Amino acid sequence: MLIRLTGGEIIDPVNGQSGKRDLWIQDGFIVDKPEGERADKTYDLSGCIVMAGAIDIHSHIGGGNVNTARLLLPEQHAAHLPRPADTPLSNAGWSTFTTGCLYAQMGFTTVVEPAMSPYNALHTHLELADIPIIDKATLTILGNDDFLLSLIRDKTSSDMMDDYVAWTLASTHSLGVKVINAGAAAAFKENVRAFSFDDVVPAYGVSSRKIVKTLQASVNRLGVPHPLHVHANNLGIAGSADTASVTIDATEGVPLHLAHLQFYGYGTEGKRKFSSEAARLAEQVNNNPDVTIDVGQVMFGQTVTISSDITRQFLAIGNANPKKTVIIDGDGNGGGIVPYRYKKNFYGSLQWAVGLELFLLIDDPWRVFFTTDHPNGAPFTSYPELFELLMSRDARDAKTAELNASALELTTLGSLRREYTLDEIAIMTRAAPARLLGLKDRGHLGSGAIADIAVYRRGRDIAGMFREAALVFKNGELVVENGKVVHLRWGKALRLKPTPDKAMVRRMQAYHEERYGLSLDWFTFPDSAIQRDEPFAEVSCSS
Amino acid sequence: MSVAWVGSQAVPLSDAIQHAAKLLASSRCPVISFDADVHGTRSVIALAEKLGAAYDHVRGRELLNEIALFTQYGGMFTTPGEVRRRADLIVVIGDIPASHHDMILSWASAPADLTGKQSRSWFHLKANRPSGDTGMNKHALKVGAVSLSAEGASLGAAVALLRAGLAGKRTAIPLANLDSLKTALADAEFPVFVFSGNPEEPTSLAMLQGLVSDLNRSKRASSLFLPSDDAAWGAVLTSVWMTGFPPRTGFPNGAPVYDPQRWDIQRMLREKEADLHLWISASDGASLSKRGKIPLVALARTRNPVRSAAVTICVAAPGIDHDSVIYSSRIGTFRAERASAPSDMPEIAGVIRQLSEALPC
Ligand SMILES: [Zn+2]
Repeated sequence: MLIRLTGGEIIDPVNGQSGKRDLWIQDGFIVDKPEGERADKTYDLSGCIVMAGAIDIHSHIGGGNVNTARLLLPEQHAAHLPRPADTPLSNAGWSTFTTGCLYAQMGFTTVVEPAMSPYNALHTHLELADIPIIDKATLTILGNDDFLLSLIRDKTSSDMMDDYVAWTLASTHSLGVKVINAGAAAAFKENVRAFSFDDVVPAYGVSSRKIVKTLQASVNRLGVPHPLHVHANNLGIAGSADTASVTIDATEGVPLHLAHLQFYGYGTEGKRKFSSEAARLAEQVNNNPDVTIDVGQVMFGQTVTISSDITRQFLAIGNANPKKTVIIDGDGNGGGIVPYRYKKNFYGSLQWAVGLELFLLIDDPWRVFFTTDHPNGAPFTSYPELFELLMSRDARDAKTAELNASALELTTLGSLRREYTLDEIAIMTRAAPARLLGLKDRGHLGSGAIADIAVYRRGRDIAGMFREAALVFKNGELVVENGKVVHLRWGKALRLKPTPDKAMVRRMQAYHEERYGLSLDWFTFPDSAIQRDEPFAEVSCSS
Repeated sequence: MSVAWVGSQAVPLSDAIQHAAKLLASSRCPVISFDADVHGTRSVIALAEKLGAAYDHVRGRELLNEIALFTQYGGMFTTPGEVRRRADLIVVIGDIPASHHDMILSWASAPADLTGKQSRSWFHLKANRPSGDTGMNKHALKVGAVSLSAEGASLGAAVALLRAGLAGKRTAIPLANLDSLKTALADAEFPVFVFSGNPEEPTSLAMLQGLVSDLNRSKRASSLFLPSDDAAWGAVLTSVWMTGFPPRTGFPNGAPVYDPQRWDIQRMLREKEADLHLWISASDGASLSKRGKIPLVALARTRNPVRSAAVTICVAAPGIDHDSVIYSSRIGTFRAERASAPSDMPEIAGVIRQLSEALPC
């Protein structure tokens, strides 16, 4: 089947100037105009803009903690039936099915679940396999696990470290490595409740910095395309900007991705000792080409925080709204589920502004990524409103008028007049994520790319434009028309699949038998366990 | 050998599926009770959605209290691996289902290698009012657990006494050996309270979590949840990701609605709200009989037609007849399990898929 998209304005910064040109799709891929062939189907896209399918690099869409959040909050899901506008969390696609549909309706075609605990890999992949339409990928959490901390303590060779990281990537079927509050969860087990970058996990004598640097180096040596994905220490607390700052300084010439920087954008100025340090952090990011960040924008309303940062979540129990929480204090990282409502008070307003400052003050759209850390800052269904805030200062001004003035005074937001262009949006949400994750087959509209295409009807209502895509193609199949899903299909989970070292496999076998009393096959699974045709697709390492 | 029957008459599988599909399609209010592995559960819920049916696990009544702990309260939980490697004080709460006893006993012979301790201390909080003993009392003695109980107290009451006692409150009835638990707690690096559903006393699970929360004010403590039935808990988790809700969920208008009272299948059958019962379980010894006059379609691991069922289809047992994915309390998550005695009996997911395809819609 040959499909022709004609009359639309192509926004494809990777392949040159925006402008009107035809796009051709054949067998799921974008192709050059085939000579002498006629399209089987032609779409007239006059009045529309055309972008590659969007890629979300950090959204908690599946796995043990996400599912526990669903179980904890059935009312947040039920509430949406009569009053959709009032309960943004429930619009967020609380089931795997709605997650895929709602993402697709906005023109998103690939989403990364960034926090898969190694022992929950099968559960996570089962859920991801039930998310329709889109492709998925996972990042595996390391850095608070006994095995890694023991390797570091024992000054094991970097080869051995790499073998362990590669084995973990392979056995969990993931696309990269994430470290979450490195060392803090291990220290939590020894009753340490505050943990910074140069603090040491007592039982192992290993600092947070050492864990991050070890994993960063290993990921880099292995040629994992995505740099180590770092959830830094001290998330959410006043003064956390200092932690983010030392973490950014620790890149030392090697790539590193800092997740949801907004949650670290806080200083200790002002009457409430809670202020914005976004300008300082943005400048530091601008000056350090090795670092990429995603924002983790806060939007207002009910949500739930889902994090494998047990220290943070344990300390946040008192802020739960409604008053119920789950803390998982288990192997490795553990985690916690704390429901939360972002209010337009001093704190909520400041957090909202810090996120926008980061978006607007970081110059290079290739290094700042569009996230709300779904659902931690806001559900992903708030993306259309966030696009509007970035692209329209009028929209920002209008929103600002509803918020706490004394909080906004502690920020630079009022002075920022920048408006994102469509090209910058396309870089930030398409081209840059593809490059950051090593996905050469997507994020652009050049010949040979997978035909993941989002078509939006140009209009003055920016949020409306991004909320309901006019057309979405996934692998060349039309899946969304006029903002509604018209065709269901099953995407794949993208993984690296390095070949594990045989000695490491034997070592893991012995470790699990001795420490857990169970053979290794309790903790690993074959592709067939997912029970879908080709549930995975391979991405290659770069070395 | 026959695998399908209409009434007591053996028929080809495809005939039985056609017949069952016809009954399902003409039903005004079908209800589904099931017991399956993850992939069986996925197929059952997809079918329920297509039919607009309500579904519940066959052990739904036992699940109610366990689910309610999470939907209404939450808590602090740990994982079995963490208990094995770090728990130096284990308090077993009441009578734990027999399927978990091997794991509990295995901790007694394994070192808690991530603590500095040579051995673990054990306590067992017991109901004093008679209740069914699954053998936990004997095992508790074997591991040298100190017994905690109070005269005439049910398990729920004993948990309340324990919480009050540990918080330093005076209680009307004394809890035996409370002081030795206090001493052990003061010394412990990681005390863990091991518990199951206690369906008779819904508030006792939240009470236990309150106790764990109290302890966490000064130092680390947690609880290990061992579900009344692993497969049933796996079905809960699967239902939660597929629909957003745990079982006792129905699809009255296409969208899932969670309501543990409304979709109580036994009640719906008793009160004749339901007009067709689809019963699915490959568990050996699963008891099944037709309830009243409501027609029954049975998927069971059987070589004979189920008595008085309109249709019976033989289905394979996950993990025995075919590879499966199940929840396992040994690891606190899902596990891919190889068939222990592979057979060619039809898998639940396959039969349900054929049923679904045979529906007119
Ligand atoms: Zn996150």
